[in-house]
Amino acid sequence: MSKNIGFLFFGTFFGFVLSRVGASDFNLIYGMFIGENLKLVGVIGTAIIVAYVGMQSLRKQAKQTRTGQSLEISKKKLTSWSLSGALIFGLGWGMAGACPGTVLAQLGEGKIFAVFTLAGITFGTYLYALLKEKQPNL
Amino acid sequence: MIETISRGIFVESWHFLVGGSLIGILVPLLYYFYNTGLGVSTGYGNIVKILLRTSQLRWIKEKFPNPWNWRLFFMIGIVFGGFLSARVSGASIVTMEMGIFTQRSGLPTIFSAVYFFIGGSMLGLGARIAGGCTSGHSIHGIANLHKSSIVVTILFLLGGAIAANVLRIFLLGGGAS
Repeated sequence: MSKNIGFLFFGTFFGFVLSRVGASDFNLIYGMFIGENLKLVGVIGTAIIVAYVGMQSLRKQAKQTRTGQSLEISKKKLTSWSLSGALIFGLGWGMAGACPGTVLAQLGEGKIFAVFTLAGITFGTYLYALLKEKQPNL
Repeated sequence: MIETISRGIFVESWHFLVGGSLIGILVPLLYYFYNTGLGVSTGYGNIVKILLRTSQLRWIKEKFPNPWNWRLFFMIGIVFGGFLSARVSGASIVTMEMGIFTQRSGLPTIFSAVYFFIGGSMLGLGARIAGGCTSGHSIHGIANLHKSSIVVTILFLLGGAIAANVLRIFLLGGGAS
């Protein structure tokens, strides 16, 4: 199975689960951030624990990946830029009631306003490319 | 019996342990099959590249030589997954609703559109500067015990809490239910 087809499949699975558990529901994201409904904290927390346990058991395998490579885990380093980026991201998350993954599920669910959030994320990414031209450390 | 089960799967919202587990298991699965970390937001660079094929901006030119890669297919899959979920639950194909935002804000459509565009811009810009989003940092990064991801996630949540409370005070005037 080619990598693209595989990711199409896993993406479909991811989008379906995000939608079924309510991660693409504006009310649940808003409810989490005003501290009224913490279901999504439970979702993210459970996902982290399951992913951690899964990664730990993968690390112990003789064959860590299907093709026998050892794991190459992508890691991002922290700079003062990334701190301000994280805060900007958080403000957008609370404002739009979506993140870059869940907005795609919202789009599939037929929510028209997701089109504008999505256009915004694309524009914001372009803005980053413009800023990085002037500030390569970004 | 069968009807209860199918309602539980296709119509009612899943328990957080079920949804959270299925999301979490994706991280080791993607490593096992493709030695690739879970993440979505970088894929928006693929869209920029497709829209601006001839852009001379270095980041776009160097980082996205071929935008039709797995990142884009992953994104298309997520859209399709959301579509399937709405279809099996019996929701309408297209809706102007966005939860209590559209119920309570009373904003004209054009202002709501601008509002979501601005929110989206901050998500896009912020994710790139922070080096990832909820999936890449908060789930993938923390599960691999990256300190940077823990710090970034705390700031994600802080920003979200600030924005949602400002929204509550000035526009929505109340809780989530």
